[in-house]
Amino acid sequence: MRKWHPSSYCALLAVIVVLVNGCAHYPLNQPLDTSGQAIPYEFDQLTAPADADETFVVLAFSGGGTRAAALSYGVLKALRDNRLPDGSGSLLDDVDIISTVSGGSFTGAYYALFGESIFDNFTEKFLKRNIEKELFLKLFNPYNWVRLASPCFNRIDLAAELYDETIFESKTFGTLVRKAKRPFLIMNATNLFNGARFEFTGVQFYYIGSDILTYPIARAVAASSAFPYLLSPITLANYYETAGCTVKKKEALALEDYWRNKRRYSAAYNKTLYADQDEHPYVHVMDGGLADNIGLRAIYDLYVRGDIRERINSGRITRFLVIVVNAKTEKSEWCDQKESPPGLMKVGYKTSTVSMDNYSFETVEMFKEAAGERMKAQQYLTACQKKLDEHSADGFTLPRIAGGDMKLYVVDLSFNNLSDETEKDFFNNLPTSFALRESEVERLIEVGGRLLCEHPEFTRFIAEYE
Amino acid sequence: MEYLFVTFDDDREVVVDDAVQGRTNEVLELERGTHTVTLTSPPSDFRPKDEVTIALDGTTAITPREVCYEKVAS
Repeated sequence: MRKWHPSSYCALLAVIVVLVNGCAHYPLNQPLDTSGQAIPYEFDQLTAPADADETFVVLAFSGGGTRAAALSYGVLKALRDNRLPDGSGSLLDDVDIISTVSGGSFTGAYYALFGESIFDNFTEKFLKRNIEKELFLKLFNPYNWVRLASPCFNRIDLAAELYDETIFESKTFGTLVRKAKRPFLIMNATNLFNGARFEFTGVQFYYIGSDILTYPIARAVAASSAFPYLLSPITLANYYETAGCTVKKKEALALEDYWRNKRRYSAAYNKTLYADQDEHPYVHVMDGGLADNIGLRAIYDLYVRGDIRERINSGRITRFLVIVVNAKTEKSEWCDQKESPPGLMKVGYKTSTVSMDNYSFETVEMFKEAAGERMKAQQYLTACQKKLDEHSADGFTLPRIAGGDMKLYVVDLSFNNLSDETEKDFFNNLPTSFALRESEVERLIEVGGRLLCEHPEFTRFIAEYE
Repeated sequence: MEYLFVTFDDDREVVVDDAVQGRTNEVLELERGTHTVTLTSPPSDFRPKDEVTIALDGTTAITPREVCYEKVAS
């Protein structure tokens, strides 16, 4: 039998490498179906009972790796176990929207896809797994070395494959549309062009002319949690012009209104940025925590100018509950006790986290102020009417504010709400990783529920529930 | 937030920026800025027929921006 020369083996290997390398490409998002046949993934498209908006519940799950995922899971469990005072069911059944970032996206996406079976298998499927080790092992597979050599296949694509196969069962956003049931899921990432929030919703995908229905949930979760440096960005193709999309009136008006309302302009600009397809043929997105680490900005946008605003003005919401699950940690600090300044590592860590933490704090306060403004308007009108009734005999009635006396509750959950210093220290010193000990996961789940049930605003919500 | 008060003889849905935002004869809470306003139709029994473009700025719940619609034969 004729023996092969060693150079022949090398040549064969080179051919295999080139073939595998050439084939290695991330799954590309598809162009939008402009025939009007497909139902987009938008909040309004999800069916709900006639009185579904009466108690409007919104959850925002922050980033923070498994720590955030477990904490938000604990909150979901507590919502399931909290029976409403009128005996109509659990509060979990009333959840209308979940907005998620990074680690929180795993819990939010899993619940949106699989509903209450999250309580049967999510801890084993994700929370108690060492995802980091599994990703690391994938990197050691020679087959993946060849794939990773391709410019169109990156570490994040390996992560997305792992999540797709082992957690999200190859489901796409089409699964959520076919489910046609609330909660509406908003997974948040950050676009690397200008650092703005990029959400995985039908509205945002319309503005890149792409079909979200065929897009894998796992890739959106991977984008939302693509921690800088450790993981690479996720890339999306922009088909805006080729799909024949146009800027809608709401955004067009905002874009012409820069001087009157820069926040409104900015939201419209970031959403419609990709209308210039020649300038932006691709979108690179990564960890949502860079734009908003608590997922509340998406809710704020819906509150001031989106689906929530329409429901408030239409008088469909009687009580509005927003629960922010913030897994932010404040590590024990000793640097002020030494004369010498902190080293490069410490300064680097602070530089990368301080701005995000301050921004998250201000985002929650901004939302509370917006809610407070609404409450004040209601109180103001009631007080004015009372004065008129007292001092005027003509019986003039002031017009009522749309939505009437809606009640609004903002519940912000974080480890700093804990009163026990030892316990607070424990949680504040947990790492941001995808590999926590089982005991740590169990404690996070327990404390998530407790933080919710002990929050004064939540107890007020329960007490005032009629 | 800003405030808009759309008056009309009938109770009718108000359309702001192509989305239904409440009803006539109630104070609507909206974001500061330029908006277009009209009523749902049919019936087209109101005037002005065309969309009204308004700038909401500096209003309060007590002193909202008023847009008045007159009832006409459809």
